[in-house]
Amino acid sequence: MHNELKINDMQTLESNKKTIEESNNSISLNLPDFTTDSYKDAYSRINAIVIEGEQEAHDNYISIATLIPNEIEELTKLARMEMKHKKGFTACGRNLGVEADMEFAKKFFSKLHGNFQIALEKGNLTTCLLIQAILIEAFAISAYNVYIRVADPFAKKITEGVVKDEYLHLNYGQEWLKENLSTCKEELMEANKVNLPLIKKMLDEVADDASVLAMDREELMEEFMIAYQDTLMEIGLDNREIARMAMAAIV
Amino acid sequence: MFGLIGHSTSFEDAKRKASLLGFDHIADGDLDVWCTAPPQLVENVEVKSATGISIEGSYIDSCFVPEMLSRFKTARRKVLNAMELAQKKGINITALGGFTSIIFENFNLLQHKQIRNTSLEWERFTTGNTHTAWVICKQLEINAPRIGIDLKKATVAVIGATGDIGSAVCRWLINKTGISELLMVARQQEPLALLQKELDGGTVTSLDEALPQADIVVWVASMPKTIEIDTENLKKPCLMIDGGYPKNLDEKFQGENIHVLKGGIVEFFNDIGWNMMELAEMQNPQREMFACFAEAMILEFEKCHTNFSWGRNNISLEKMEFIGAASLKHGFSAIGLDKQPKVLTV
Repeated sequence: MHNELKINDMQTLESNKKTIEESNNSISLNLPDFTTDSYKDAYSRINAIVIEGEQEAHDNYISIATLIPNEIEELTKLARMEMKHKKGFTACGRNLGVEADMEFAKKFFSKLHGNFQIALEKGNLTTCLLIQAILIEAFAISAYNVYIRVADPFAKKITEGVVKDEYLHLNYGQEWLKENLSTCKEELMEANKVNLPLIKKMLDEVADDASVLAMDREELMEEFMIAYQDTLMEIGLDNREIARMAMAAIV
Repeated sequence: MFGLIGHSTSFEDAKRKASLLGFDHIADGDLDVWCTAPPQLVENVEVKSATGISIEGSYIDSCFVPEMLSRFKTARRKVLNAMELAQKKGINITALGGFTSIIFENFNLLQHKQIRNTSLEWERFTTGNTHTAWVICKQLEINAPRIGIDLKKATVAVIGATGDIGSAVCRWLINKTGISELLMVARQQEPLALLQKELDGGTVTSLDEALPQADIVVWVASMPKTIEIDTENLKKPCLMIDGGYPKNLDEKFQGENIHVLKGGIVEFFNDIGWNMMELAEMQNPQREMFACFAEAMILEFEKCHTNFSWGRNNISLEKMEFIGAASLKHGFSAIGLDKQPKVLTV
């Protein structure tokens, strides 16, 4: 039985060879038409999410600085970078003649935004860092990585620059959590249980629009899981702990 | 550091293993969850050569399963992501095991050098095909006489002769063994003619014609599912070396005096103390492994940090001799028929 199955699989590989070759040839040509109404319509929401995301990131880093005043300089620098990104992405929309649907984007982030504000009020720095420096940053990096492969040339260049910065931000939260892991682990796990499912929902919510932009849902999720897992690994969590945390994304 | 990139033999199997390893988030997931799962560095291990040198290595599960073969984008991502992880971990030489090297080759992944913020360095990877080809040739030379086949009088058929491993095996057989006749079978006729010209020997033929003539058959291609083999027409004794992936020959060839040998598997002289080969369903998982994996270890033992086996048709006799000598020196040996006392009778 088992072997039979394997023979079947091998055949699949062979019989797909043609499709594979065809698909390979079209990799670089497989860009969507950036001028269609449906593209622009989807772009109005995705672009807005990105712009709003960068704005929120700016605000969040400024807020986090109130909890760690001696880091104010570094955090202000990060916040400023986010504003630069926001400008870049605004230009991407303008370049395609698209008006960003900011109302949609505000609503899109509202739950996560609310959770961040509650944590901030309570002075829960770990939760704030998890939401902004891990979840939102990993979400952004994954989306940008996938977008770069299918973006128009102007947006591609801007996004490539942004991704380089975003890795720095992910790194910032990572370093703090790593240093304080012994005291913040419990809160990190709890905050993750509440907020990771939100990210998953946000991803699902945006999947249809993303697919119009030729961004594959499966690829987005995988990119997110890679960035997320990498960060948790760097913070010093082991495979089992990471697996337990990642569980929140599939329930 | 050496690395091994592998995968489970089926989705069900993968879930079972994930559960054992504590990866509950994917163990409970459906195939879609697995399609989005990052590669996992499952195990670190220290290996001591017969010469006394110690090296360290890691096993990376790509989270690919054969059920994903029909989703070429997914399969491509699985392999590239696993390679990126290996490189990020600073591993000098990593072998692409199982389907991953087949995917790399067939899906032309060479054009995907940039993975996120990592530019893949091909010199850190090897298909391990040179060692696999050498091991298959040694298995043939050692085991044929054991079942009463005289190599000098033997006709050997290589099925899949134009592949990377197949062409290397043909090259070795013609130049190094003194076999009586070489029959070469492959799907594509053009590369077959080129190979014949290069070797200045061997006979191009079809599978149906080759099988009844051959004392020894080396399979380095997958077998079409529809194939019907009449074992009555085979020579007796007959040695079948299953050098393809996955290994599924023994089901097709059962009969008295038909000896099926798992090709391209080596045994280490000592217990390694790892769990990863249990995952690969080896008979003696503490010592046995795919020759392609062993190639990464040998290259690390030899501090030979280069993509030793790469691309198609680059395996020379010199390279096979080099890797073969190093293989023996560090304590590897090809598994033989006595490993599987499975002379099957219907």
